[in-house]
Amino acid sequence: MIRLEDVSKRYPNGTAALQDVDLAIDQGDFAFLVGASGAGKSTLIRLLIREDLPTTGRVVVDDKDVAQLRHSQIPQLRRLVGVVFQDFKLLPTKTVTENIAFALLVTGHGGQIVREETERVLALVGLTHRSTHFPRELSGGEQQRVAIARALVNRPRVLIADEPTGNLDPVTSWEIIKLLTRVQELGTTLVMATHNAEIVNALRRRVIHLDHGAVVRDEREGLYAA
Amino acid sequence: MRRLGYVLTAAWQGFWRNPVMSVAATLTVSLMLLLFAFFIVTDRGLQAAVGALESKVELVLYLDDAAKPSDILALKARIEKDPAVARVDYVTKQQALDRLRDLAQRKEDFTVADLGTNPLPASLEIKLANAQDTARLAASLKDELGRGVVTDVIDNPTVVEKLLTITRVLSVGGIAVLAMMLFVALFVIVNTIRIAVHARRDEIEIMQLVGATDWFVSWPFILEGMLVGTFGAIVALAILALASQPVTSAMVGFLDILPVSLGANFVLQLALGVLGFALIVGGGGASFSVRSQLAKGARA
Repeated sequence: MIRLEDVSKRYPNGTAALQDVDLAIDQGDFAFLVGASGAGKSTLIRLLIREDLPTTGRVVVDDKDVAQLRHSQIPQLRRLVGVVFQDFKLLPTKTVTENIAFALLVTGHGGQIVREETERVLALVGLTHRSTHFPRELSGGEQQRVAIARALVNRPRVLIADEPTGNLDPVTSWEIIKLLTRVQELGTTLVMATHNAEIVNALRRRVIHLDHGAVVRDEREGLYAA
Repeated sequence: MRRLGYVLTAAWQGFWRNPVMSVAATLTVSLMLLLFAFFIVTDRGLQAAVGALESKVELVLYLDDAAKPSDILALKARIEKDPAVARVDYVTKQQALDRLRDLAQRKEDFTVADLGTNPLPASLEIKLANAQDTARLAASLKDELGRGVVTDVIDNPTVVEKLLTITRVLSVGGIAVLAMMLFVALFVIVNTIRIAVHARRDEIEIMQLVGATDWFVSWPFILEGMLVGTFGAIVALAILALASQPVTSAMVGFLDILPVSLGANFVLQLALGVLGFALIVGGGGASFSVRSQLAKGARA
């Protein structure tokens, strides 16, 4: 599903954010991205959704070289790859339902499909009873669940979570992790960048460890630290 | 159809979600449009005034008292053949005197003493179709001097030259000023809309993240810009309509010698011009602003 071939990313100021990264993540896999701040986790995610281009090497998502996509094809990639952020990125003036439906409306859907799909993901994240609330009326965990619902509503094949529990307390973090695990079990490829050692150690999933832009460890049932 | 529905709804909501910003943008547009319309009206009024002045331009031939009527009529016929001439009027000695008496009656400080004989000559008054031909025609008519019919050729080259200069300056200067006005209006409006777009950069970022096409991201903003333009045009035209009556009567009072009338056709043209300008500037400004924001969001 995701393949990085000899990928390096060097920013104009000289910083080498990624160096010679080779990676393959299969459809339906669950992979943690770990490493200190500045190790290159966010850069790798930005390359996957083509918010940035690699300096050298190839980034392949769903058999397509991301760098070769025409500008008009980028929206297709973004529908294939859903993203969840540490700061949720919800629109404060829209209700829970509207925030989720927004992702369908702006990708050209309407009517019955928007209602049905919004209800489906609301039920999946367990927020049907909060549908008419505004983000400011929700807890942090609930807001992150809305963000996950929005990322899932277009039925992406990959879900990328960039520090999804970074702003949440331990109990709420576990709820989010359980939700993401369930999404992965339903067939979505899950890539999660995290600093949360407890969660990584408890789940014993694949761990890709980045250090100064290079992959220093890639284990199938890894721990947060070697 | 569904896409159109979404875009229209989003544009309408976008306008009303931040009413302070929208009203500020609308008023900015209105003021620019008022300036624009004011300039057009002034320009058109001056053009009409120049046109009216131009139509008054004439050459006068003073005739010898002893000239034979047949010679005068032959000369008149010859002048009328010139394509630059609109009309030739024969004014008799008696008519000239009547005109002078008539003028004297209306001016308190002017009296015509009872004269034994009429000292005023008969004349041919030549109205020109085009003021630019005055000099040429005057030169050719001066050949008639000393042939027993024409005693003097009266033209007024300085007035004609000045009028022609005014016309040229107005048409060249008018285009230059109009271009500058357009630039200033565009600049102010683009900046105003840019602030509005910038205020919603989060929304644009999320739209791009969930895979909205540029079309979907930009058209609500472009339509919102056109909405701002339309409301701005309505406000500007309403102010113009309210102001037109007093301004027109003031102008007619000031320039009563000039039969300046702009006409209903011009009013319609002006309204359509202002609205079209507003739509182009509003939509174009929004398009420009949202495109720069889109480029920021997707550097790749």
